Amino acid sequence: MRCQRVFTAALALGLVMLPAVTARARGEDAPRGPVGPAFGGRALQALVDGIQFGVIIAITAVGLSLVFGTIHLINFAHGEFVTVGATFAFFLNASPAGPGWHLIPAAVAAVALGALLGAAVDRGVWRPLRARGTGLINLFIVTIGLSLLLRHIVLVLYGTRPGSYAQYDIQSAIGLGPVGITPRDLTVTVLAVLVLLGVAVLLQRTRTGTAVRAVSANRDLAEASGIDVRRVVLFVWMLGGGLAALGGVFFGLVETVTWDMGFKLLLMMFAGIILGGLGSAYGAMAGSLVIGVVAQMSTLWFPVDLQYAWALLVLIVVLLVRPQGILGRAERVG
Amino acid sequence: MRANKRERNTPVLAAEGIVAGYLPGVDVLRGCSIEVGPGELVGVIGPNGAGKSTLAKAVFGLLRVRAGTVRLNGEDVTGRPAHELVRRGVGYVPQLQNVFASLTVEENLRMGVYLRPRDYARRAAAVEELFPVLAARRRQKAGSMSGGERQMLAMARALMTEPQLLLLDEPSAGLSPLHQDHVFDRVREINGAGVAVLMVEQNARRCLQICHRGYVLDQGRNAYTGRGTDLLHDEKVIACYLGTLARAR
Repeated sequence: MRCQRVFTAALALGLVMLPAVTARARGEDAPRGPVGPAFGGRALQALVDGIQFGVIIAITAVGLSLVFGTIHLINFAHGEFVTVGATFAFFLNASPAGPGWHLIPAAVAAVALGALLGAAVDRGVWRPLRARGTGLINLFIVTIGLSLLLRHIVLVLYGTRPGSYAQYDIQSAIGLGPVGITPRDLTVTVLAVLVLLGVAVLLQRTRTGTAVRAVSANRDLAEASGIDVRRVVLFVWMLGGGLAALGGVFFGLVETVTWDMGFKLLLMMFAGIILGGLGSAYGAMAGSLVIGVVAQMSTLWFPVDLQYAWALLVLIVVLLVRPQGILGRAERVG
Repeated sequence: MRANKRERNTPVLAAEGIVAGYLPGVDVLRGCSIEVGPGELVGVIGPNGAGKSTLAKAVFGLLRVRAGTVRLNGEDVTGRPAHELVRRGVGYVPQLQNVFASLTVEENLRMGVYLRPRDYARRAAAVEELFPVLAARRRQKAGSMSGGERQMLAMARALMTEPQLLLLDEPSAGLSPLHQDHVFDRVREINGAGVAVLMVEQNARRCLQICHRGYVLDQGRNAYTGRGTDLLHDEKVIACYLGTLARAR
């Protein structure tokens, strides 16, 4: 068993390393290793960048995790909620055809649209399908179809050109010792952390939040306790949609707005929620943070193109040691 | 006065001609009927696959009723969702996964009064008197409790709403004989406090010993009905279901 684990880890490591080795063989530049006095500063910078990336993944992943927790659906279309939020805010804020709103009201409107989109797909697609007893695999395939549909609607409406919001686009970094961060990135990180804390308080301290956790733990028992499960599920879809849209605006702000940005982020979201423990909102937060930090820290030694691969390698290694994820709980049986 | 008398005579639960099942076109219950009077303790026994648990789920609205009616205090509640029946005074304890494993004991009890959160302190004190083991375990995750303790917690959660009717789905399943005795004693206590109880049970002998009336189901239909003690000594019930071991006792 131990040998099998070591072999799997070594195989995964080999697969991840292969492109780096071939790139070196071709004489391409790779980041310098841990040499020289500037390495500590670069490592700190990568850590800060990683935390920022991690909290953005976390905001988008929480909804995905809550949906899985409450209805056991792996929503492949969740990335498109991110894209819809980012592109709608772009339309309101920076598109020549839009009203030219400031980014803040545009972001609020995008969050509202994300929540409405979440509600619409629950009421219009998932609820009727669940009522007809559609199996989970079939539902999963439907999410892939929905993902393609939404992504290509965005492609038609938004186009392929990357875009930036009208405000907070170019800023000079504030130096905090060896670390430099722009006021925009600092604000996004702080806001994202505050939103995640808000979600935690909502889940832990409010009646609705406890009902969400109860439905995640045992749907039928929640219904038997007097909880209107359908309403709770609707709330989860709206919360997830709103958070994904907000994450989309944040991601579009620190990177660029593209028609497939959510799809690209989706793998990181899945990695985050699996690493943290499937179905656990707190696990999604912790897992996403780890994924973000690992992805950025890996750029200290390896090409940037491989940062996602390193994050996924860490996922495999952690699951080999702790199959239930970081915060997933092994349950007593019997 | 006449209205009060009628209320006293109206069954708390009356299910008639229930047809229900899980797969399209396959009926598990095929016209099953059952009645629970105010303050009555009614047992439902039968062989595996007779439809006992399915009956509890159909009555409680967790499974769609294909034909037949379910009346609660005379009012038709057929097809109403379970959370609405909880609001109308029905408590339900499922056979499996009957606690919120990832929640603490206290949170489980709070879920029991989800509809009336202000009643928590009063109701928690009442159920902890019935199940003292829970008071010392408030902060413990329900998933880490033993089977017997989970069953206590499950019954306590259902009692938090002060139900007038409690549906128990095989409360002794998987428990040691000692814990089974404990569960049946608590069921009797709960019923003694005036709560009508419908208990679906695999342990037929123990169930019929404490029940006022019993129903024997077979292949989704009522096979025999009678007083608990009568069914216990009924030759047909012994021959078809309880077995010769029961006669020997």
